[in-house]
Amino acid sequence: MEIPLAQEIIFGLVIGSYIALGAIGFTLVYGLVNMINFAHGEFITVGAFVGYLAVVFGGLSIPMAVAVALAITAVVGWVIARVTFEPMNEAGAVPLLLMSIGLGLVLRNGFRVIAGADRRTIPRDVTTYRFDDWGFFVTSQQLFIIGVTLVAVVVLHVFLSRTMLGIAMRATSDNEDLALVSGIDTRRIRNAVWIAASGLAGVAGVMLAVSQSANPNVGFGQLLLIITAAILGGAGSPYGAIVGSYLLGIGITVSVAFLPSGLTELNATMAFVVLIVVLLVRPGGLVNAEVRTS
Amino acid sequence: MSAPTTRLENLPIDAVHAGFALLVLSVLFLLSPLFVQPPGGSFVFFEVGVLFFLYAMILVGLNLQFGHTGLVNFGPVAFFAVGGYTAAILTANDPYQAVGLGFPWPVGVVAAVLAAAALGILIGVSTLRLRDDFLAIVTLAVAEIVHGLIVAFRDVTGGTVGLTSVPRPIAGTTDAGGGAALVSTILIFAALALFFYGVFRRLSGSPYGRVLRAIRADDQVTETLGKRVFRYKVAVFVYGAAIAGLAGALLVFYNGAAAEGFFTIDVTVIVWVGMLIGGAGNDRGVIGGLAIIMGFQLITRFFNDAIPFITQDQFASIRLMFVGLLLMFIIRYRPEGLWGDADRLGVES
Repeated sequence: MEIPLAQEIIFGLVIGSYIALGAIGFTLVYGLVNMINFAHGEFITVGAFVGYLAVVFGGLSIPMAVAVALAITAVVGWVIARVTFEPMNEAGAVPLLLMSIGLGLVLRNGFRVIAGADRRTIPRDVTTYRFDDWGFFVTSQQLFIIGVTLVAVVVLHVFLSRTMLGIAMRATSDNEDLALVSGIDTRRIRNAVWIAASGLAGVAGVMLAVSQSANPNVGFGQLLLIITAAILGGAGSPYGAIVGSYLLGIGITVSVAFLPSGLTELNATMAFVVLIVVLLVRPGGLVNAEVRTS
Repeated sequence: MSAPTTRLENLPIDAVHAGFALLVLSVLFLLSPLFVQPPGGSFVFFEVGVLFFLYAMILVGLNLQFGHTGLVNFGPVAFFAVGGYTAAILTANDPYQAVGLGFPWPVGVVAAVLAAAALGILIGVSTLRLRDDFLAIVTLAVAEIVHGLIVAFRDVTGGTVGLTSVPRPIAGTTDAGGGAALVSTILIFAALALFFYGVFRRLSGSPYGRVLRAIRADDQVTETLGKRVFRYKVAVFVYGAAIAGLAGALLVFYNGAAAEGFFTIDVTVIVWVGMLIGGAGNDRGVIGGLAIIMGFQLITRFFNDAIPFITQDQFASIRLMFVGLLLMFIIRYRPEGLWGDADRLGVES
């Protein structure tokens, strides 16, 4: 069946939305802590389970569950980062990367031991709005996901551009040494980054639990897409990550129309091809970032 | 403790000679009518042993790349898989839903090495200028792409079913049953692993190896000394790719089949963790590290039945949690590994 382009774009916006929620946090951590966090997907999974528990056992509404997951995941992520990554902050990119791989293995398999491989979906009422003249429909759930992401993006923008902490964050991301001599407490900044990144991951988790399911692999499954989006947008740039996420989301769905049938499952693979091509052709992403050595 | 070790060092043979001699002996043994039938309960040890020697081959290449040269290759399994599938596709006879060209097995072995090396050149030339952590991501993505292509192109690779009817040349030398075939296989694989260990050890011990370590320490300084750093990096990347490709071919000839389940990210994790436990850059140490992690995998197999209330899935997860914890502890408290050199690796312990 032929799916109209407008419909593919709607699907792409939804996918882009939860990639964006993950990618913003990932790229903040990259820019300010200078590490590629392979355990970021597991922070998302924490959010998915917290959201699921809040709705199914806590009896909360989904928007309330988003708030709860945001808060709990922010704290959990911050505590984990303090215990694991902060003590080796000076160790360099590769040891931190390996540390996060170990952490990811521990958390992901920990979820599996506790929760099993079952797929638990948050029950919800879905209304479908049809726009037949334009050739697409959109569900209340999709609008909710896109809406939550837009709110998060606006809050992030206000935070980065209007608050002292946000401005200090951007300064530290640009040049940590300069920020340090300007009297910015970079330790405090890193704490704030972990809280913000984990909180956003928590929101992403609830979105995934609503649209897919809460299972031990749900966050990890998004990780390479998140990394791709962050690099596409220029590693370290939160605005770039947002643009990169939506480009990637729409790219994934629209490319289905151009892939031969039977190979449509390759579109995740295509995303990694995009990742490599971006790193080779324009390694700084859409804005400039430093990834080459020579 | 040093005396026997020193005496061992001073022997006029090294691992290359020993490996080659063992290889000749084991081939002679295979061609003879002799065979060894291991006791039934020991099969699991032999099976893990076969994998150990194949992973050891991947590891000597990876250790040259990361331990000596500092290249963060997170996709060794990609080359392992390309080698395995190349060999399987060229040699299989009428596999179910896949391409099998039915060539003799030596063609498969040579093609596997060439295909993996070719991918190594392609990836190496295009990506080795990237920063460490981005190289890690790219190589990981390459491994995911290879895996994705294997699953998607099921008309060629058999998809999730895989390729069957691949010849088993080593097992074919004896008709004394699976146990005898397993012993033959492990002899040949051990000999090959020892041989290539020796070859890579000679490489890293030679002036060539000094250049690699200089690149690891500071590639810009090395460049100003007139060494063409990029070429060295690509060459090292291709050596590692080729030997992983060979290991992949050996795996499919041992199993008589290729399946995507043999070539998952778990291979990368095990080999990397083994290298880090042993101490990246110490040729002998990394093999010891691999032995530790695979020994752990083997021994814990027997615990599974002993613990009540834990399902098989949960047990597998708990085991992986331990692997992850081990990795975290090593990185945090002993980044040079058990036998590595902290100064040379540039880490603080």
